[in-house]
Amino acid sequence: MSSLISFKAITVSLSGKSILNIDQLDVLAHQCTLLTGRNGSGKTTLFKIMAGLLKPNSAEIHYQGLEMTWKQAKPYIQKDIIYLHQQPYLFDASVADNIAYGLHRLGENKASAHKKVMQALDWADLSHLAHRPAKQLSGGEKQRVALTRARILSPRLLLLDEPTASMDTDAKQQTSLLLQRLKSEGVSIIISSHETHTVDHIADRHLLLERGRIETLERPTHSNKVTVLNTSKYST
Amino acid sequence: MNDLSQASAHAFQLLLSGNNDIWEIISLSFGVSFSAILIATPLALVIAFFLAFFSFPLRRALISLFNTFMSVPAVIIGLTLYLLLSRSGPLGDLRLLFTDKAMVIGQILLSFPLLVAMAHASFQAADRRAWETAITLGASPARAFFTLMYEVRFGLIAAVVAGFGRVVAEIGCSMMVGGNILHATRNIPTAIALETSKGEFAQGIALGMVLLVLSLSLNAGVSIFQGKGELQT
Ligand SMILES: Nc1ncnc2c1ncn2[C@@H]1O[C@H](COP(=O)(O)OP(=O)(O)O)[C@@H](O)[C@H]1O
Ligand SMILES: [Mg+2]
Repeated sequence: MSSLISFKAITVSLSGKSILNIDQLDVLAHQCTLLTGRNGSGKTTLFKIMAGLLKPNSAEIHYQGLEMTWKQAKPYIQKDIIYLHQQPYLFDASVADNIAYGLHRLGENKASAHKKVMQALDWADLSHLAHRPAKQLSGGEKQRVALTRARILSPRLLLLDEPTASMDTDAKQQTSLLLQRLKSEGVSIIISSHETHTVDHIADRHLLLERGRIETLERPTHSNKVTVLNTSKYST
Repeated sequence: MNDLSQASAHAFQLLLSGNNDIWEIISLSFGVSFSAILIATPLALVIAFFLAFFSFPLRRALISLFNTFMSVPAVIIGLTLYLLLSRSGPLGDLRLLFTDKAMVIGQILLSFPLLVAMAHASFQAADRRAWETAITLGASPARAFFTLMYEVRFGLIAAVVAGFGRVVAEIGCSMMVGGNILHATRNIPTAIALETSKGEFAQGIALGMVLLVLSLSLNAGVSIFQGKGELQT
C-alpha cells in the first residue's frame, strides 16, 4: 500500500490547552479512511491542518519525496488536498458557477470550463439544479454540489468533515453514492464522523482520534469494532 | 413667510434653469467627495479585512482606534490638516491649502475610520467558511479576498454609501482647508453657509434641497443594502 502523504509530529494547542499530539499519520493512496472521534476530539482541527488552512504549532510533512515543515508544504497541500466543511459553504452564485469556481486556477478557457462543469453536474445527477441559486439548496444538495466542486479539480485527497451528520436517509444515500464513485476514481478520501454506521462500508481503514492521538482500529467490517463504536459514547 | 415661499420658488427656478454657479458648486461637491471615497475605499477594505480575519498584535487596539476616530469632529480634522498644510506647516511646500485637493485629503481622513469600521463589521459577520472554501479550492489570497468581498457586498456597499453621505454633507473640514472659493473650492455645504449669511436664501435653499434629497436617499440606500446583507446569511 503506497503512502500518498505522511504527517508527523503534529502538535496543536489552543489557548494553552493541548488539542492534538499526533506522532504519525500516513494517508494511503486510493484509500478511504474513516476517522472517528467524539465531538471536540479535534477532527476538524486536524483536517484543517492537513488541508493547509490552519497553522499547527508544529508538523512535519513528507510529500512527493520531500520532507517539509507545514509552512513549506502549505502550497502543495492547499493545491492537492481539498477540505469540505461539515456544512459546506456555497458561494452566492448559481450551482454551475459554484462548481466552476476552482477551474479559474487551471486557466481553462470558457468553452472547456463549461463542458467540464456540465459533465460534473451530470456525474452528480445535479444537472437539473445547474442554474439554481446555490444558497437555496437543501443541506444534502449542498453537500453534493460541494463534492462535485471539489472533484472537478482532481484532488489527490479529499477531507470530508462529518459529511452526513445532519442529513436524512435519502440525502445520506445520495452522498454515499457519490463518495463511492469518487473512491472508484482513485481519489484518497478521509471521512470524519462521530458515528460509523453510514459510511463504514466504503472505508478501507478506520482511525480513532482520542485525547489528541490517533489509534488504528481494525478494518470496519460491520462486526464488533463498529458495534463498539456505535455505543452511546460516540453517538449524539 | 411670503419671503420664504418666494425664495423657494426662486430656488426651484435656479435649479431648473441650469444656473451655472449652482451646478458648478454641485458638481464640485460630487467630484471632491467621489474622489475621496474612491481613494479611501480600497485601503479601508483591506485594513478592515485584516482586522476581521487575522490576529496580530495591537489588532484590538487598532479596532478601537478606528472606532474612536469615527467620532472626531470634521472641524478638528480640518484644523489639523490646516496646520499641516499652511505655509509654515510641515507640508506647506506642497501648496495644497485652499485647493480642492486639500478638500479631498480632508474628506479621505474623515471617511476613512467610518469605512474601516463599517467594512470591518461586515467582514466580521462574514462566514469564515467562505474564505476557507475559496482557499481550499485553489484561489490565491487575492482572489479569495475578492470572493469574500462579493459574499458580503451589501454590507460593503452600505459602508461606502454611508462614507459618501458623511463627507458630502460635512462643512467644517471643507471650509477650513478649502476656503469656500467660488469656481475653485466652493461646495454645497460651504455655499449654503455663505449664501444664507449674505441673505441670499434662494441659492441656499436650492442647494439645501439638493443636499437633503441626496442625504435622504443615501441613508435609505444604506438601510436597503444592510437589509439585503442580512437576508443573505
Ligand atoms: N479557536 C479555538 N480556540 C480554542 N479552542 C478551540 C478553537 N477551535 C476549537 N477548539 C477546541 O479544539 C478542540 C477540537 O475541536 P474540533 O477540531 O472542532 O473537534 P471535532 O471536529 O472533533 O468536534 C475542542 O476542544 C474545541 O473546543
Ligand atoms: Mg468538527
